[in-house]
Amino acid sequence: MHTHGEPSDGAVVRAVLAGDSEQYRLLVRRYQDVLYRHAYRMVGRADDAADLTQRALVNGFRKLDRCRDPEKVGGWLFRIVANLCKDFLKSPRRQDVSVEATGADVIDAASPDDDLERAEVRRTVREALARLSPEQREAFVLKHVEGRSYEEMTELLGASKSALKMRVMRAREELQNLLKVYR
Amino acid sequence: MNARLNAYLDGEETRDDLPPELRAEADAWDALARDLRDDDPGGAPPWMETAVMAEIAREAARPRREGLLSWLLRPRPIQVSPLTGLLAAAALAAVVFVVRTPPAGPEGQVATVAAPAGATEILVEFTLEAPGARSVAVSGDFNDWGDDVVLEDVDGDGVWTGRVPLRPGVHKYMFVIDGERWVTDPKADRYEDDGFGNRNAVLAVAPPSSI
Repeated sequence: MHTHGEPSDGAVVRAVLAGDSEQYRLLVRRYQDVLYRHAYRMVGRADDAADLTQRALVNGFRKLDRCRDPEKVGGWLFRIVANLCKDFLKSPRRQDVSVEATGADVIDAASPDDDLERAEVRRTVREALARLSPEQREAFVLKHVEGRSYEEMTELLGASKSALKMRVMRAREELQNLLKVYR
Repeated sequence: MNARLNAYLDGEETRDDLPPELRAEADAWDALARDLRDDDPGGAPPWMETAVMAEIAREAARPRREGLLSWLLRPRPIQVSPLTGLLAAAALAAVVFVVRTPPAGPEGQVATVAAPAGATEILVEFTLEAPGARSVAVSGDFNDWGDDVVLEDVDGDGVWTGRVPLRPGVHKYMFVIDGERWVTDPKADRYEDDGFGNRNAVLAVAPPSSI
């Protein structure tokens, strides 16, 4: 992901590994937004999403020599933030507060012009989403919110297409059941 | 969930292909996904680039000694040799080198990694493919068979790695998956019964004089 005239991801990675750490800034610029959006949609809070994105980018720098395909460093960074998000959602401290925090966050996120009914629907959906397992939530977010193909998801998550289709289907079923309960 | 509705949501059927009774449900799912997409947080906060680069700069500005250590910690090719002479005494300085656990060698031969001249310890990189694991630790005589040496799967590809400083000598180890499942390294060149029905992998770290 780079514009004409800029070095490729692979060239940037090689420059950083050769000691020019300032070049890493290019990777930060290229991928910070996509990492942050994913983190936000996984954890539901802007401050947590920013913290996880920052940790992913710094960890990526520290372990850049383990990136096997420098031209695909964007996907590699995405996997780092995706794993941090799942670990965050699984942490006991997070589980104590997740649903409450997500619900409060959604109300805050609604613009003043949103009518109450729409805000309520959105809050209900986000609460249900927060109750999915991290793996199901990830699969649902990638497929339906980020609009990725199963081929892209396979590359990003390293799971087979059939396994991912099953995960997304289970997420839909779980979401459907949860939304029935909320109605 | 209805299989045809599921196929529609996977992009394998069009809305027109669906029977009329499923179209309302399909529309509801589309509306739900659209609503979630519309809740776009925008890009990363404006301070992100500065914060990341500042943290990186702090690491780069650490004392030179750490820079040297970081250079030394870069994995290097390893040498494999027979066990002969492995335990010979050697005058060693306080320097650490890194090697990866060796690739498979001739059957029956102990995998040996060589401590470069002047090294008291050698950082050995352990690797285990364990897709789906929640955690992987390496446990051996070098950490009293504890579970404190935790491997990482930083990019989620199911390959867990971690580095352990080992002194020259023969070491036995196993991996522990999810804190409870003991697994023998499938890539070790030699194994030894542990007396409890399992097999330990055997790895030798040779002092420089034996290579």
